[in-house]
Amino acid sequence: MLQRFKYAAPSTRAELLDMLAERSSAAERSSAAERSSALERSSALLAGGTDLLVNIRAGVMRPSLVIDLKKVAGFSGITWSEAEGLAIRPAVTINELLREDAVVARFPLLADCAHDLASYQIRNRATVAGNVVNASPCSDMAPALLCLGARAVLSSARGRRELPFSEFFKGVKKTALAADEVLELIVVPASSQGARGAYKKLKRIAGHDLGIVGVALSKKDGLIRLGISSSAPTPVLVDGLREGEDVEALVAAAAKAISPISDVRCSKEYREFMVETFVKRLAREVA
Amino acid sequence: MRIRVTVNGDVYEREVEENRSLLRFLREDLGLTGTKEGCGAGECGACTVFFKGKTVNACMVLAVEADGSEIETIEGEAENGKLSAIQAAFDRHHAIQCGFCTGGMVMSVRELLRRNPKPSVDQIKEGIEGNFCRCTGYQQIIEAVLDASGQLGPGAKGELKYV
Repeated sequence: MLQRFKYAAPSTRAELLDMLAERSSAAERSSAAERSSALERSSALLAGGTDLLVNIRAGVMRPSLVIDLKKVAGFSGITWSEAEGLAIRPAVTINELLREDAVVARFPLLADCAHDLASYQIRNRATVAGNVVNASPCSDMAPALLCLGARAVLSSARGRRELPFSEFFKGVKKTALAADEVLELIVVPASSQGARGAYKKLKRIAGHDLGIVGVALSKKDGLIRLGISSSAPTPVLVDGLREGEDVEALVAAAAKAISPISDVRCSKEYREFMVETFVKRLAREVA
Repeated sequence: MRIRVTVNGDVYEREVEENRSLLRFLREDLGLTGTKEGCGAGECGACTVFFKGKTVNACMVLAVEADGSEIETIEGEAENGKLSAIQAAFDRHHAIQCGFCTGGMVMSVRELLRRNPKPSVDQIKEGIEGNFCRCTGYQQIIEAVLDASGQLGPGAKGELKYV
């Protein structure tokens, strides 16, 4: 049984942003020491619910209000244009992303990561935005979004701001989002279209599982980028690498960027070893 | 909150608490207990149902989200008391032991065959990756899916060459 909460499904962006402003000011009114628990108890955003409802069930989150984003006008759908790039809105599920022609044709790495995320029925509910907002170190979408230079558009009643995903993740389950902000848009720039790339994810089983280590590699215009998950407090971007460089240089750059821990799923040393192994394989396999 | 949902073609109107999952709503409020709760956290797939035409884990959907929606469960699989082709194949191949995973498994197989009428063994495995069978009857389930999709010739039953 889930603990009790109220449910709201705003139909307009303005309504939603007002609700978020309210939760922010409620947290402001509480003392510094109580602020994070006050926020935790205030309200939570619901998109696919595949993290939120599990967290509520486990008692990790105790919101008094659950705000459903899926009915907000303008929060659904993916659009593609040469001028604006690929725009992914908050209610877009992983399977919707996988069905989008522009994604499959222009951003194969995005599709590769999406395909590795959980199981089919979870991909029918889980959203791209939720996967990054959750800010799990083992996010499957983050490695692709980092490699492709995607940007996050954060909106609040105060206005909009934009930042690259390399600045979005702040720690385990922590993002740059303020209490009154929502991730309104994920933009993958048109300049990244056609990037060749692939994602390798180490799991305990061949079926759906959380990643133990994940590495995405992209190649475009002579540059190589790596997006690495489950190997640091946040998903990590490694850029500034050139095609044709010795693979050992890639391995060294990746090793420098990560700071894995030993945990219930594997040891620090095994993670380091598998990042190196995946980087080598990807460098060879991504033509 | 008052919600109105269509389940297997029947319309239900009920008062539900906001924190009620779709799974609990189906089982406890509507008495449709064919959909099971295994893990309650999206791992096992025993609660797989069709929600707005797509398979989901009903444990991770709120009943209030389903207001105005169509839902299909295992209770709607047989028509006029006659097993569907998928159910009949599960029966023929002994793809059911304890039966706890079967309702969700059949939902995922229906979805798989709708997308891909002749799936390969690898595609079947991927299609049911979100549904755990802890009797580990996967061998029989895969054969049942091959059969339901017309890919098992006469005499092939019982042979393991397909997997």
